[in-house]
Amino acid sequence: MTVDPNAVTQDFPSPGPGHRRPGAARYLIPALVAGAVAVALGAYGKVHDPAGTVFNLAGFSSTIALKSWLATAAVFFALVQLVSALMLYGRLPGPAWSSALHRWSGRVAFLLSVPVAVHCLYALGYQTYDSRVLLHSILGCFFFGAFSAKMLLLRSERLPGWLLPIVGGLVLTALTIIWLTSALWFFRTFGVTT
Amino acid sequence: MKRPGPLLTLLAGLLVGVFMLSLNATTGTRNASSSPPTTATPTPTPKSSPAPSPSPSKTPIPDARYTGRTDDDSASVAVTLRGGKALAYYCDGRAEEAWLKGDVNDDGTMRLTAEDGSVLNGALKEGNRIRGTVDVGGGSQAFTADRTTKPAGLYRATATVNGTETDGGWIVQPDGGQVGILTRDGRPAPAPRLDPGTGAVTVDGQRLTARPATP
Repeated sequence: MTVDPNAVTQDFPSPGPGHRRPGAARYLIPALVAGAVAVALGAYGKVHDPAGTVFNLAGFSSTIALKSWLATAAVFFALVQLVSALMLYGRLPGPAWSSALHRWSGRVAFLLSVPVAVHCLYALGYQTYDSRVLLHSILGCFFFGAFSAKMLLLRSERLPGWLLPIVGGLVLTALTIIWLTSALWFFRTFGVTT
Repeated sequence: MKRPGPLLTLLAGLLVGVFMLSLNATTGTRNASSSPPTTATPTPTPKSSPAPSPSPSKTPIPDARYTGRTDDDSASVAVTLRGGKALAYYCDGRAEEAWLKGDVNDDGTMRLTAEDGSVLNGALKEGNRIRGTVDVGGGSQAFTADRTTKPAGLYRATATVNGTETDGGWIVQPDGGQVGILTRDGRPAPAPRLDPGTGAVTVDGQRLTARPATP
């Protein structure tokens, strides 16, 4: 673990301070966890025989429609993430509670994405039959790896100022492309339907 | 400990994921009774399909492919329409299958039959959905099949593999799920997985190509 018991607890890593103790572990562990998560998800999706059907919620015509709406909600909260991060870094004027907004919109977005990913992996699997599906499969695994890395990095103090924005940006970009290659595709193909 | 929030977030996500996975694994077949996804909204919402939805009568029946499931979710049904004729395939992915053929009437209704006496009665709704019943193996099941596009649809491969007559049928759903039955010398069994993009499938070590099945 990268826990340093003497470190000062800090609400958000201040951008760009000097880093006196550049322990490699605090970068290595998040990177290794990220890789392990992404590879494990991909391997499960590839090895597990897709079940095809899973339960659905009443009011939705199909599980895919439900997923598309969940994913759209997740993307909405991800955009809140972008705006609140800009507030935290002083690029936008923001209220005092913008850090809480950032934390909680991120949690909501992540928790919304989990059921979608479970369905993807359980019912559909890791597929490569066309470029949209391939890109979606790769980035779907990447997203959860990158998100894990982001969460673990948050626990480290005195990171280089550019690191969290870069990792956060990767997470946001991945989620956006995942959405474009699934929910947007669904809405364009089948209409904006529930 | 410092800053437990991020770890708790990850843990919560993991728990939700594991919970949903176990839910999926244990309720595999219960879904139809708890929330029938297709029958819940039979009339009021014709899907706003981007494809030009033809008016239900007068115009000729559009060539299209439809895939769906029986209402009890026990089997898949796919229908391919071409030139006023229909070919349908009913498949439970294990042992029960039927290939049904027939004409489509101008009002969009169809009665398709198979050599073994199986019958499918269906009606085209708004040009983007077929609703009806299929009688296979002594039982009658209602089904709904929605209009879809490649690679979803109906695939068939017939070949002689190692001297055995094999006949495979697959239904690929728009969500990528698929079921298929492979009959070797008259004995049906679950079919190996088909690559919907290329139609490639490996049967008993031999590579075959399944083609979209049309009337």
